[in-house]
Amino acid sequence: MKKAKWLFALAIAVLMALPLAAQKTELTFWTWRPEDTEKYEKLLATFEKQNPGITVKISAFKNTEYNTILSAALSGGSGPDVFQSRAYGGLETFAQSGYMESLEKWVPELKNFNKDVLRGATSVKDGKVYGVPFASQTLFVFYNKQIYKELGLKVPETWDEFLANCAAVKKAGYQPLANGGKEGWTLEVMMGSLCPNFYGANDFYDAVVAGKTTFQDPRFVSAIAKLKELTPYMPDLYMGVSYTDMQSAFINETAAHFIGGSFEAGYFASQNPKLDFDVFPGPTAKKGDPHYVSIYADGNFSMNAASKQKETAAKLLKFFAGKETGDFFIRELQQVSAVPGADTSASPYITKVLSFQKYSTPYIFLVGFRYNQPTGSTLIQAALQGFLAGKIDAAEVCKQVQEGIATYYEPFKKK
Amino acid sequence: MISDLRLKNATPGKKILIIFVQVAFICYSLIIFYPLFNMIMSSFKSTRDILRFPFALPQKLDFSSYKTVWVDRGFGRFFFNSVWMTTVSMIFVLLFGSMAAYGVSRYVYRMRTAVYMLFLSGIMLPLKAAIIPLFMLMKKLGFVDKPISVILIFIAMGLPSTIFILSGFMKTIPKDLEYAARIDGCNDWMIYRKVIMPVIAPAIALVTIYNAVPIWNDFFFPLVFLQNPKYKPLPLGLTNFFGQYSTDWSLLFTALTIAILPVLILYIFMAKNFIKGMTAGAVK
Amino acid sequence: MNKRTAERRWILFFISPALAVVFVIILLPLFMSLFNSLFSWKQLIRQDFIGLENFRKVFFTEPYKTRFFNALKNNGLWFIITMLIQNVGGLLIGYFLSRRVWAHEFYKRVIFIPVLFSIVAVGFLWSLYLRPNGLVNGFLKIVGLPQLTRAWLGDESIATFSIIFVNIWRWIGFPSLVFLAAIDNVPMDCLEAAWLDGATDRRVFFKVILPLIVPSILIITVLTIIGSLNVFEQIYTMAGLDGAPNFSTDTIGTLFYRTAFGSVDSGNPEIGIGSAIGVIIYLLTFLASVASIVGLGKKEVEL
Repeated sequence: MKKAKWLFALAIAVLMALPLAAQKTELTFWTWRPEDTEKYEKLLATFEKQNPGITVKISAFKNTEYNTILSAALSGGSGPDVFQSRAYGGLETFAQSGYMESLEKWVPELKNFNKDVLRGATSVKDGKVYGVPFASQTLFVFYNKQIYKELGLKVPETWDEFLANCAAVKKAGYQPLANGGKEGWTLEVMMGSLCPNFYGANDFYDAVVAGKTTFQDPRFVSAIAKLKELTPYMPDLYMGVSYTDMQSAFINETAAHFIGGSFEAGYFASQNPKLDFDVFPGPTAKKGDPHYVSIYADGNFSMNAASKQKETAAKLLKFFAGKETGDFFIRELQQVSAVPGADTSASPYITKVLSFQKYSTPYIFLVGFRYNQPTGSTLIQAALQGFLAGKIDAAEVCKQVQEGIATYYEPFKKK
Repeated sequence: MISDLRLKNATPGKKILIIFVQVAFICYSLIIFYPLFNMIMSSFKSTRDILRFPFALPQKLDFSSYKTVWVDRGFGRFFFNSVWMTTVSMIFVLLFGSMAAYGVSRYVYRMRTAVYMLFLSGIMLPLKAAIIPLFMLMKKLGFVDKPISVILIFIAMGLPSTIFILSGFMKTIPKDLEYAARIDGCNDWMIYRKVIMPVIAPAIALVTIYNAVPIWNDFFFPLVFLQNPKYKPLPLGLTNFFGQYSTDWSLLFTALTIAILPVLILYIFMAKNFIKGMTAGAVK
Repeated sequence: MNKRTAERRWILFFISPALAVVFVIILLPLFMSLFNSLFSWKQLIRQDFIGLENFRKVFFTEPYKTRFFNALKNNGLWFIITMLIQNVGGLLIGYFLSRRVWAHEFYKRVIFIPVLFSIVAVGFLWSLYLRPNGLVNGFLKIVGLPQLTRAWLGDESIATFSIIFVNIWRWIGFPSLVFLAAIDNVPMDCLEAAWLDGATDRRVFFKVILPLIVPSILIITVLTIIGSLNVFEQIYTMAGLDGAPNFSTDTIGTLFYRTAFGSVDSGNPEIGIGSAIGVIIYLLTFLASVASIVGLGKKEVEL
């Protein structure tokens, strides 16, 4: 009898200890955005309040070293429970190495996500989803409304109108374009913002991915050639103008246009709250044609396949897939959240960006050709630098890209 | 010593040479001081002003960014960590390095060249190349997220070049010095300690600077191995100011100034001994 | 016999601490990663043994071949320019300082200050100075040479040279002081003998001083070889991991890092190929260092 009593007491103690143990659960979370750490802490505080007993420890790493550190930690069998992961080819690296947990069974909410955005979190090898997408990015042109007003300019619809506006801005003594070419990736962004309307957006994308055409298609060559028409409006010695210089010129209102991506807005606003800017999609050849914009999934939240507390980690991922996180991305980070149904009413900017997405096309080299070396991005970035510096012509740019990709891309090999 | 090169009593050709040399030295000093001055001045400016007027003077000496960096961003802690980690690493680099240099330069034995080459091969490739196996190793040893991981790596990074430079100097010391000490009853440790080390003191100054500066400034290994803020060194603090699409230049320059000043002050105080040490010894 | 054993014990005592650390922390992981070059890789997971296939790819197939030899050419440039300007310059600086020119004590201290800077700080500051509307171009405009303004870091034909010059700015103090130390220690009797023969300054420099400081030249040369083949941080902070623009500043260090770990803005890791490039850097550095030690070592004996 006494024994039974003891056992009962023990059972009670164990039962009581269980939630106590759960109270101590600590999740680790890694991000490559040190600039957002404070804001993330706010978001995670909401999560912790909703899930008593779970605490989340956030570590932020320098963006450029993030992948290296993550691969070292994951191959060493440790690493965070939940982490930000890159989209497309960057996801493939970790997913196919078996370091990521596939999420279909953990986060059923993923079913409601936009298919295009989900593509950035899906492995092309096995078709499984390895991440909760957090934001999509759209490429277009920022312009300074104040300068436009001062010079009486209208938002350009066609390429010729765009060039005319640039000429007018230049005449008035402003810098028409902020863009330079010191970093190759800013040139790829420029290509992604302006070229789709000239290479035939999705028609060309689908054809080239299927191997039905090549990058030496005249449509693509002429689209690339268009970029050269902008050089008179780029800053002096534009090949030496870095990304930081570009941002600085637009923020300080010396430049009227900035060809970039939706991710810029937050920084512009924080650095110069008085800056009155708006955006327009890449101009077209003819008036009335639809304006296509390149879009891509920025990144995801993923789960470490070696995590010792997957149930708890899944709770955090479900939270990241929920409306609170979606609203947080729009409100606090000025990013286009990937969460379906997030509230965009607070931000006219994001409402506008979403309206551009009616005519969207995948950001061609990132979405389609960043899975093997040399990636389409590596090739186009270097070639565009040669092109804008005047060392090679548009046909040669396309030839270099085509030949580089053809070394591994099966659909091209048949030709 | 060679004779002084001065304007007095010089031939006209020499006078031109001397003036040319002076102009070159003065210009070079200017392009050394300007960036230093510019960096310190930038730390008093806002990010926007740094980008807008990079070469203008700050409007006022505003120390608020120093407070932000030192207190709010925890640089006081980072600074302390950097100091002790660098010191501990350097003590072992110099001790183990000079001992090994003695071992490969003052004895004649069959494996000598092989051992020397083994050490030498350690400088040939940046250790970054081996980061993944290194991480696994540290994990097996249980050193991940402990300062010892980074200190061990710093010691290992410093040893090969230390051994290479010090053994070069030790080879030039005449054997007679050693024989004399041996007759006085010194054992090998005492010879190393009492005879050889004092002679190569200037070379010690050289390897200290050669190794301490990269160790003080390295951010890669701490970034990989130390996640606990308690153990983070200065350069790791610097990486917090680099965003994916934005850099906080104002705080970055403040932090850079904080990182360079102690080294600079230490150097200015030590310069006399350091240079004297380097140039007065038996360096051949 | 007894004496031999004692000596062996002392040798072990002196070299084993350093040997243990270097072996465990450097050589072991390094050889593990070199071992990786003999395998095929599926992303970050090692697959099958494929012998020297990765090396064959680096040397003989596109695009690796073009990238590798382009990078190697830049490492060659780094070595030649550093030897010619930094080391010869350092030798001259050391020489004039040893002649105690006016304010030499001051210069001795100043010249070493940039050596204390972190490469990161140097990279940022000089990127600011070298940008199109930066300090350097501003200076050229003021002195009436606007035709010389350039996109120093953005022009394919000069970007590498700009970065090398920044590095020389940073590091020239090091060889200067090493050579100053060496020259100051040239024995007085050698110099006096030369003066008695009525030798000119130039003759003394070439016939007496230079041969006597060969050991210092050797150390500096070997460190320059190693430094030039391992250039990484300088490029990384001023031109980025891709060796922009258009690979014109790429070196085998950046190529290696990019291939082994991937580059955020453009590509994914290929560990097998990356490790093979690592092995090649290793062998090249080793051979070049040994060759210069043997070559210059001979000169030393001839004296």
